[in-house]
Amino acid sequence: MALSTTPDLQPLQPQTSSNRTLTRKRPHRLSVTSWVFMAPIAVVFVVLYVIPMSQSLYYSFTDFDGYVSNPAFVGFDNYAELFKDPSMLSALGYTIFYAVSTTILVTVTAIPLALTLNRKFFGRNLVRSAFFFPAVPSVAILGLVWGFILNPLGSGVLNSIIRSLTGLGPIPWLSDSTLAQLSTVAVTIWALTGWHAVLYLAYLQAIPADYYEVSKIDGASSWQSFRYITLPLLIPAMAVSQLLLMTNGLKVFDLPFTLTRGGPGFSTRTLTQSLIEDGIAQSRVGAASALAVLFLIVVGLVVLGQMALSNALQRKYS
Amino acid sequence: MTKTRHALTSVLMIALAGLMSVPFYYIVVNTFKTQQETTNSPLALPTTWVLDNYIKVFEGTQILQSLMNTVYVTAISIFLMLAIGSLAAFGQITGRSRTSQIIGAVLIAAFIIPGQATLVPLYRMLVGVRLVDSLEGLIVIYSCGSIFCYYLILGYMRTIPAEVLEAARIDGAGPFRIYWMIVLPLIRPILVTVGVFQTMWVWNDFITPNVFISSEEKQTLVLQVYSAVGQFTTDWPSFMTLTVIVLIPMVVFFIFMQRHIVSGLVSGSVKG
Repeated sequence: MALSTTPDLQPLQPQTSSNRTLTRKRPHRLSVTSWVFMAPIAVVFVVLYVIPMSQSLYYSFTDFDGYVSNPAFVGFDNYAELFKDPSMLSALGYTIFYAVSTTILVTVTAIPLALTLNRKFFGRNLVRSAFFFPAVPSVAILGLVWGFILNPLGSGVLNSIIRSLTGLGPIPWLSDSTLAQLSTVAVTIWALTGWHAVLYLAYLQAIPADYYEVSKIDGASSWQSFRYITLPLLIPAMAVSQLLLMTNGLKVFDLPFTLTRGGPGFSTRTLTQSLIEDGIAQSRVGAASALAVLFLIVVGLVVLGQMALSNALQRKYS
Repeated sequence: MTKTRHALTSVLMIALAGLMSVPFYYIVVNTFKTQQETTNSPLALPTTWVLDNYIKVFEGTQILQSLMNTVYVTAISIFLMLAIGSLAAFGQITGRSRTSQIIGAVLIAAFIIPGQATLVPLYRMLVGVRLVDSLEGLIVIYSCGSIFCYYLILGYMRTIPAEVLEAARIDGAGPFRIYWMIVLPLIRPILVTVGVFQTMWVWNDFITPNVFISSEEKQTLVLQVYSAVGQFTTDWPSFMTLTVIVLIPMVVFFIFMQRHIVSGLVSGSVKG
């Protein structure tokens, strides 16, 4: 199980002898049928994105409960309701806490890990595989397994290990609000750090070795070569990695849910869980749709904001 | 000096990797123990290796049914995604009609729309066409992945020299023939990469089956593990055994596909 081959950044370019590609010159006769080729994807886009998104938008301004045929228009009431609902507010708070803390902590653990995994040492391929492996199984299954490990009873795995080592009583990993929130973050870091380290590693390996040799000759310390060579060249990787962490963090559902079911109380309930329970289980379609529209806006803003930030950083450091 | 540093890194990193892997060791080792032993010494090797848990899981759960369901949903979804995505990329690259240009530009929106924003209407839509609680319904939902495939395939297809297709056209090949006989074989590497990436998504997905599937005989593997928590709440070894059985296909997949997994990670991480 060795993660032996590492990708370069354009691993998938076939060899071409010519630089005239299809985009430059298009064969005329094919154009007639091109829409036929695009038809299936257009259907997918309309049926799975355009129609449901329009419905979410429409329902969010109505009191639709899933049954009445002509729901009343209620303006922004659903949106105002959202910010008054304590369970929704706590879901919002927890989701933001989760997204921000996992983004920061995974980044600060994945970069040093990638730097270390980029050095030569015995057993490196095995270590790379071991760190990457948690990204392979389903996150939901990992959450369930960790649920057994962190079981707050004295018979829980971690608790019985702690008791046999130190004699301390059971620690309420998942039954105390704060500890449960921290546990979900900790398990996420365990699951994701290796994956993101491999992403950073791919970018690290694209840095030419000459840069480091030159800086060494010029008398740069290892900190200086990290600060002035590695870090600036890792900014594109950081942009990609943090964008994924942040958007996936805001959309998260599987891991907190399988680990804690959103409890104790509402302490690890995520926005997605609220949305599913309101919109499907309780048929509060109007309220859930307002949340869905907010989701779209927030995720869209995060994507745009992170892009702007990484562009600014790139200009500053290069 | 550097030698001791290498040795130190080695020892430290292997120890750290070992610590990281304890949960996996834990679930595997406990499948061979009795419940008594699991409770008393969770991390020790079994004194006597027993296979009772495996027998119990195969007899007491519908695991083979769930495996078949997962394979069926994954295979058809991935086939559909790659077919729809590569057809669209081919149309985009050969077409000059305004329609195909506009479609190409508009598809970008799919990257910003989170699944959450469309979940409730999609659920109602599937209820309307009686596809809720069916494997085909899951396949319909997963076909939204074809837009992601389209973008990755498009980037790769642009590197095919125009002469290749022109030559085929002069020889009298029609567009479908060019797509099937010339383009598809040339883009095989990206099809494998995207296919591996999307397989991991569909196979491991929890939220979609959790929302859309309710009957036991239509569960996917991940959903089955989830519902087994209640069934085995006091029988930890059986739960661990079920988990290990479910993890095996993914481990095998990882061993054979790791190169593609990593290159898919790098090229696919543009997905928002």
